[in-house]
Amino acid sequence: MSKFRDARVGSWRALARPLLTLSLPLILATGTALAGDPAAGEKVFKKCAACHAVGEGAKNKVGPELNELIGRTAGTLPDFKYSKAMIKAGGDGLVWTPETLATYLAKPKDMVPGTKMAFAGLKSDADLDNVIAYLAGFSAQAAPAPAPAPAAAPEPEQTRSDAAPDTTSAAPTPTASGHDGKVFGLGRKAEAEEIAAWDIDIRPDGTGLPVGRGTVSDGEVLFSENCAVCHGDFGEGVGRWPVLAGGQDTLTDERPEKTIGSYWPYLSTVYDYVRRAMPFGNARSLSDDDVYALTAYLLYLNDVVTDEEFELSNENFTEIRLPNEENFIADDRDAEGHDMATSAPCMESCKPGPVEITMHARILDVTPGSVDDDEAGGAGGVD
Amino acid sequence: MSETKTPLSPAALSRRSLLKAGLSAGTLAGTAVAARAAGDPLITEVQDWNRYLGDGVQARPYGTPSPYEAHVVRRDVEWLTAATESSVNFTPLHELDGIITPNGLCFERHHAGIADVDPAAHRLMINGLVDTPLVFTMEDLKRFPRENRLYFLECAANSGMEWRGSQLNGCQYTHGMVHCVMYTGVSLKLLLEEAGVKTSAKWVMPEGADASAMTRSIPLEKALDDCLVAFKMNGEALRPEQGYPLRLVVPGWEGNMWVKWLRRIEVGDEPWHQREETSKYTDLLANGKARRFTWVMDPKSVITSPSPQAPITHGKGPLVISGLAWSGNGRISRVDVSIDGGRNWTTARLDGPSLSKALHRFYLDIAWDGSPLLLQSRAMDEHGFYQPTKNELRAARGENSIYHNNGIQTWHVKADGTVENVEVS
Repeated sequence: MSKFRDARVGSWRALARPLLTLSLPLILATGTALAGDPAAGEKVFKKCAACHAVGEGAKNKVGPELNELIGRTAGTLPDFKYSKAMIKAGGDGLVWTPETLATYLAKPKDMVPGTKMAFAGLKSDADLDNVIAYLAGFSAQAAPAPAPAPAAAPEPEQTRSDAAPDTTSAAPTPTASGHDGKVFGLGRKAEAEEIAAWDIDIRPDGTGLPVGRGTVSDGEVLFSENCAVCHGDFGEGVGRWPVLAGGQDTLTDERPEKTIGSYWPYLSTVYDYVRRAMPFGNARSLSDDDVYALTAYLLYLNDVVTDEEFELSNENFTEIRLPNEENFIADDRDAEGHDMATSAPCMESCKPGPVEITMHARILDVTPGSVDDDEAGGAGGVD
Repeated sequence: MSETKTPLSPAALSRRSLLKAGLSAGTLAGTAVAARAAGDPLITEVQDWNRYLGDGVQARPYGTPSPYEAHVVRRDVEWLTAATESSVNFTPLHELDGIITPNGLCFERHHAGIADVDPAAHRLMINGLVDTPLVFTMEDLKRFPRENRLYFLECAANSGMEWRGSQLNGCQYTHGMVHCVMYTGVSLKLLLEEAGVKTSAKWVMPEGADASAMTRSIPLEKALDDCLVAFKMNGEALRPEQGYPLRLVVPGWEGNMWVKWLRRIEVGDEPWHQREETSKYTDLLANGKARRFTWVMDPKSVITSPSPQAPITHGKGPLVISGLAWSGNGRISRVDVSIDGGRNWTTARLDGPSLSKALHRFYLDIAWDGSPLLLQSRAMDEHGFYQPTKNELRAARGENSIYHNNGIQTWHVKADGTVENVEVS
């Protein structure tokens, strides 16, 4: 039998079990809502930052750079390829002002049908005011509010080969010897930037955490926009999509609910997984700060933190422990005794009398198309 | 079972015509009997295929099965998952024989759909606790010495829907998350040695290039033992749904670890506790504890015919009971079959190659008297581990483990030859 069954893996730190309350939060206040607050607008701008840069050295990305936006005629940056609709809007006299921006950013496709900007719009007036105040700080024509220190816009995390698939011949040339490998001399040395692009995994001890931070409040906004469509506003799960919150004290129930709060052993897994694979269908689109904020919000939904203003960062990350950490054990299947060393399997008269059928298949014809009920009662899915 | 049958081949008809009594195939049997009086027209009359020319070469540049086999396909269970991109379908085990699974019938499990990767754009990186982090192209990888090995791959959740009782009617659904092909690839050990593993290393973590960027922690000892980095299956390139152009092969261990679209292997000194080895692929027990790192697939078997999707249509007389057995520990040493629900057992005949961590084919040839049967099979591996009953498993683990259900399966064969998935006392 495999020796790996007995492998004891790692050394589990003592559990710091956070106090839990049993109820899910029903209402979560949004962040500070002072109209026109550039600092608050900087947080709102994170939704834009995947496509737009602003501040010193800002360049066009998926969307145009936004320095000196106030007073700019729409569709007129020389180096950016706008939609025809946006160029026409500028030709028709659309100039970006706090007022026109407010209309546009509330529902971009309503104001400029045909715009390339995929963003659906900001629902909250406060968010609109704040983000416009933030952008105005980078425009000389705008009110002379002191511009906040322009944080470098996070670059979208994209792998090198995803971005520009090289052919073999275009790959970096081998070193002088032609080889880096030790034995066969095959392959080439991985560059530091390449390793950084792909090696984004996080361990429970915090190894791999990027510098960054995000609050519960920010996370709520991000969650509502990116995650709630599948996971529900409070992580309750829509349909068969995963439930992320609740379920505490259900692991011994007939129908356990395995969530981040009730089951997952380590918070690092949340950060790692959201950053590498979420949102489903748009992986690697969130900034590191976004992922801190979402992780903070998930902690809040699971009552691991209770302060809406709680900020999770690389500095306090490993202080957080999830409640179920201590309930994971090593593989001890071998101790169940289904082996010759324990007892040989019986061959004759193994049961006292004729065998009775105790249960029939509950679905009599599973040929696709004939299943007429949603068998949520089934004993678990495939994952 | 109401599955539409395609026209029977002449061979099948003549096989039927040999049976004199207890025929239950209705009109087909009647036709055969009636035809015999005047001679079977399939024999006495010249058939189209015997007179006219068939298609020439290159009619099918990549060959596909006969249209009469169109029902032999992977199938899914729609209610099981939220989206087809993160779902599973099942190998039609009841239609297959031998131990090799055809590439197009190997079950699929994706976490973010089938990644479409140009092999010229594919890279494999080895980084972490190595002397020299390396990047390989596919061309590089094909210059390492190659190995060909046959292994089964079983999803840890195979039979996972049966923990609370018999639920799905067909071995395709109860046991179809397994397949067995021959892989061609490079020993992972060679690649790790090429980078130079530091003495502090204890673990590796493969990562996929798909949109789930699948990751699992694997002990270095296993990585250096028998893992392969494979680019071919059954002699041809990996199928896209199996990780084209490159996948990891982790013999005997749960399928989730066989990372597809393999793009990176990190070497470290601690496990990473990734999502698929914490929130998933851990086995919740009745007491609320959960086993983690339950990698090995336990000995398991299933009778593939007769089974709910493969009923007996020939009536009494000679009956081939056929099935598959496998163990993540090594070779299968013995398979016992019971026709009375586990009271009495007969050792079946293993046929074909017996390879470590590969599917094994077993047969028990009986004369069926037409009475109902409660068919079971019980596999044992070369290390003496054998399949427990489902009730023994439940007693040890409860009903919420999802994974690693290797309990003994029972098929109820009725007098009319139909078969149902049941549980027994």
